[in-house]
Amino acid sequence: MLNLIRKDIVLQKNTLLILLPLLFLDSFLDGSRIYVGILFSIAIVMQSFATDEKPSVHYLMNSLPYTRKEIVSSKYAGACVFSFLVMLTILIGNLVVTKELVPWEQLLFIAGVVAVFISLAFPFSYLFKSQYLMIASIVLFVLYMIVVSKFIPDLNDRIREAVRTLLSLDHSLLYGGAVLSVILLYIFSWMLSVRIYSRKVF
Amino acid sequence: MENVIELNNVTKSFKGFELKDLSISVKKGFVTGFIGGNGVGKSTTIKLIMNLLRPDSGEVSLFGMNYREHEKEIKQRIGFVFDNNILYENITLSEMKRIIKPAYKNWDDTIFQHYVNLFELPLKKQIKTFSKGMLMKASLTFALSHHAELIIMDEPTSGLDPIFRRELLDILHDIMQDGEKTIFFSTHITTDLDRIADYITFIHNGQHIFTKEHYKIEEDYAIVKGETNLLDRDTEREFIGIRRSNYGFEALTMNRQRTQNIFGNTVILEKPTLEDIMLYTKKGNDNYVESYS
Repeated sequence: MLNLIRKDIVLQKNTLLILLPLLFLDSFLDGSRIYVGILFSIAIVMQSFATDEKPSVHYLMNSLPYTRKEIVSSKYAGACVFSFLVMLTILIGNLVVTKELVPWEQLLFIAGVVAVFISLAFPFSYLFKSQYLMIASIVLFVLYMIVVSKFIPDLNDRIREAVRTLLSLDHSLLYGGAVLSVILLYIFSWMLSVRIYSRKVF
Repeated sequence: MENVIELNNVTKSFKGFELKDLSISVKKGFVTGFIGGNGVGKSTTIKLIMNLLRPDSGEVSLFGMNYREHEKEIKQRIGFVFDNNILYENITLSEMKRIIKPAYKNWDDTIFQHYVNLFELPLKKQIKTFSKGMLMKASLTFALSHHAELIIMDEPTSGLDPIFRRELLDILHDIMQDGEKTIFFSTHITTDLDRIADYITFIHNGQHIFTKEHYKIEEDYAIVKGETNLLDRDTEREFIGIRRSNYGFEALTMNRQRTQNIFGNTVILEKPTLEDIMLYTKKGNDNYVESYS
């Protein structure tokens, strides 16, 4: 299993070498850490997923002494490693620039959103292909735009408001609940992907 | 004799294609050539053996173990080569080694280095710059570097130049010397099998036609040549497939002795090649289908 995670890091070496320093530089700008963190995590995780999607790679991985369960599990564990690297970079970048630690709630929020995204994207990609994810998100985006323009014009503001309230809450129970549900979702998604992948014909 | 690969009554169906009740066994310590035309189920069979596909029914076992309980132990002992490239393209050979090496308990760097030198493979060039021959050599290097007891190859010689094909066959011949290894490979190029195969397994349209010792094939089968007037409803049954021309007929029999007894000196018997056997089996099957459809 560790071998498979290490394999993903070896394969994404160039991506990491380009994106992580860029992320570090971003700390000097006054942008939104949360959006940038989410974007970078998802980009790296999905890049790593897409690299292994060719039929030839499925042949290779399944002919090596790994089980299908291990192959899927390594992707879920690897996603945590990549997100951790992104957050570590943000943390260090901020420490260097502002001499302050990033509030842990922000990091938790990044981790949560990335975990929810992966929980939805991985089973979808194992069932179809990650390239259709783009089409699926465009469809979702269009639906969102329709909702915004026709039904709830201030949806963007409401979401922003909700995020702000969520982050300003110091209700530990609420945090605990959110963390727990995200973890449960992640585990459920992992089990679902294992099932999908073990039946996959390539 | 010990069987390394055993398929018992394996059935696998796809849209428009089916492997029917396939039972094959591959003996330890020998080279078994796996022949059959395009699309008759060779690659599907190899995928079933590698656990890339699961059978709809029937049992697949390797080294006497099944994949359900012993997937990793089995795969530790297999070296594989596929006809298309399955290595990552955007990395170098030495990076590829860093990925594959930790997967195997018995990985041997000296063997890896030996084949890299022998094949003059560049370690620091991206794999996408490799030619078809180099890719094949790289795959073979990986297959041979972890003391695999069973080497499974799907069309390893297709698209290779004749010189490397011979080199490859020599290498395979060399690794067979200790009697512990087993090779199972599919091919279209039947002359390759004349050099190294001890056994031949032949499938057609998803069905196992025979597994025979290579030398036995020449003893059992024969190409029969004679005048067309020898053929009638009864004598035609003696043959697997028949080709008629203005000058007479040519047919394949799978019972040389019997044919000799029936026709005596009126026909000429010749040694068949594997290609003859493949061709006439296909012809015979097609006629069968035609006459009943």
